[in-house]
Amino acid sequence: MNDIRLKRDPDCWRGSFIAMASPCEVLMEVDEEELAGRVLETVVDEARRIEAKFSRYRDDNIIARINSAQGDSVTVDEESARLLDFADQLYQMSDGLFDITSGVLRKVWRFDGSDRIPGPRAIQQVLKNVGWHKVTWRNSQIILDQGMEIDLGGLGKEYAVDRCITLARELTDKSVLINFGGDLAVSCQRQGGKCWSVGRLVTGSDQAVALFQLFTGAIATSGDANRYLLKDGVRYSHVLNPKSGWPVVDAPHTVSVAAATCTEAGMFSTLAMLQGPQAREFLSLQGVEYWVN
Amino acid sequence: MQLKNIRKQMSLATCALLQAASPAVNAEESDWEIDTAILFYSEDNGRVSAIEPAIYAGRELADDQRIDLRLVVDALTGATPNGAHPSAVSQTFTTPSGGSTYTEAPGELPLDDTFRDSRVAIGADWEVGLDRFSRVTWGGNLSKEYDYLSLGGSATYARDFNDRNTTFTTAFAFNNDTIEPEGGIPSVFQPMRVAGSGLNREGADDDKTITDFMLGVTQVISRETIMQLNFSFGQIDGYQNDPFKIVTVVDPADGLPAGSGFFDTASTGNLPYVYERRPDTRDRSVIYFKTVHHFEEDTINFSYRYYNDDWEVTSHTLDLRYRYELGNSYLQPHVRFYRQDAAEFYTHDLTLGTDVDPVSGAVSRDYATSDYRLAESETLTLGLKYGMPLGNDSELSIRGEVITQSVNDGSVRPGEETADLDAFVLQLNYSLLW
Repeated sequence: MNDIRLKRDPDCWRGSFIAMASPCEVLMEVDEEELAGRVLETVVDEARRIEAKFSRYRDDNIIARINSAQGDSVTVDEESARLLDFADQLYQMSDGLFDITSGVLRKVWRFDGSDRIPGPRAIQQVLKNVGWHKVTWRNSQIILDQGMEIDLGGLGKEYAVDRCITLARELTDKSVLINFGGDLAVSCQRQGGKCWSVGRLVTGSDQAVALFQLFTGAIATSGDANRYLLKDGVRYSHVLNPKSGWPVVDAPHTVSVAAATCTEAGMFSTLAMLQGPQAREFLSLQGVEYWVN
Repeated sequence: MQLKNIRKQMSLATCALLQAASPAVNAEESDWEIDTAILFYSEDNGRVSAIEPAIYAGRELADDQRIDLRLVVDALTGATPNGAHPSAVSQTFTTPSGGSTYTEAPGELPLDDTFRDSRVAIGADWEVGLDRFSRVTWGGNLSKEYDYLSLGGSATYARDFNDRNTTFTTAFAFNNDTIEPEGGIPSVFQPMRVAGSGLNREGADDDKTITDFMLGVTQVISRETIMQLNFSFGQIDGYQNDPFKIVTVVDPADGLPAGSGFFDTASTGNLPYVYERRPDTRDRSVIYFKTVHHFEEDTINFSYRYYNDDWEVTSHTLDLRYRYELGNSYLQPHVRFYRQDAAEFYTHDLTLGTDVDPVSGAVSRDYATSDYRLAESETLTLGLKYGMPLGNDSELSIRGEVITQSVNDGSVRPGEETADLDAFVLQLNYSLLW
């Protein structure tokens, strides 16, 4: 693809491209254009590799094989196994609120700003195919019941950011910031104690009016800015509770969390959304830095 | 989902996912887990009381390794039964050093009140991950008392199977204990001497070795239930007498401590008590079963231990704890029942003429002890623990226990005081991440 751009900013190189349906940016505090180009190329390759491997919109990858196995066992590679182990741990940690089998609920819930709320019977019907506890996952083998699907979209972007940070660190010891559609991480501190400033959206505004100032670590954001249903004055967020099959009511519009890695930050912001009105309480209990709108 | 702090779990899960951990995450994982405790133990009737401060520290190291360290200090004071049984007459004994005497009133249980000791014990375990599914733990310990030194080491191998739902464990432990009692090692079956007339001693110190071998399996039954079953076999080889324990020689004519012939104290200097004698090997085996079940919030913890050895001591221990979650804090009642049979050679006394030659004082039995710890007994422990978090990373708990032990010695005469025991334990515990 030829959407990859590299340009010189006053104090860094800025690379940009599109991946995972998001605008992606790589800011590099390196001097030589050649090195900046190599870092950018590595990041692009890794992001697109992960997207190709784990996207649920393709029919030629491991996710498609698992979802179309119709009750047969599928043996997965080591990287997929690590992601599934992680999803399994998240499921347990969250008492079942984080569930990679919940994607099939989107067959009845379409978050297009309209007022189309599905009927309870339709929801019950789909819920039969939701529940990680119904999945057999052991010794690198996974078995899904017919009708069930998994979707790693809930953690793929954050995982990609962290993977790219690891690869960038191998290429340079200068600071690199990677931002995939608002989920971002920094490889190390900038020179001279400077921070990276990244715009952030605030509810009710189309533009980035506030700034994150990031020295180290990562920030991830979950939100439903443009994805919701509105009926009888109730705003249904696109965050679905996999146990009830219903959207979480009174969830914040956006939650941003800072953590050591983008994956942790992303999981905390996702879990906070799932807590609905208790999002702030949940985050303060974790002792992480957060912004809730 | 109950709101709870999952930061640590999240950090560990992310580390596993990303494998190459970032320095920031590493720093967070290397917290020391520190447990400090102070325990007060007190037996009734002025018997043993102890203060035991302890500190434990453990931490994850790089490369799948973990280290655990512990330090325990004991200070004991009080009196402990010397083995002689109560009598209708007052009884006088010589202290272990041979320098002085103590006298027990008629009907009273003879207690050696020179009992006083302090102990320092240190230990370390080093766990090394071999691969994703197996690990080895090397352990070492040292314990030193005024008259006792214990040195030991152990090796444990554990391997996970069945998607980590099953863990097999095998362990080997070795200990060498040396005792150097006040006054020296008493000569077995020789009489206690009156103070100042020399001691029946046969050396300054002696030792024993303890080897144990264990096989265990832990099985995850469901998300809520876990079970553990262990078998262990061991042998103790060497000096196993208690140098401070004696057995009364009774004259069958009047049921009182012997006072004629060899035991005519005024002319021979021999008191009617002989030093005990136990076999110098002891083979033992243990079966241990434990299960933990998590309800929605509460936890129940049950264990059973069966012990058997070739001294014919058989014991059963049942232990039950139930942890009630009270929001942030918890309350944990505890019941424990212990029952043991007497050792084959446990005896209330030795009979002059039958067991002991009246002229030479020679004992015709192979072994004999009157140590109440080898008698038939039952112990009931009732306890309650309360724990509460202090901030995110620390917990304070307090535990109280009442222990009631009854010694069932069939030969005890009516009205004779037995070695029955009531004791109380109070423990304060503070744990933190540092």
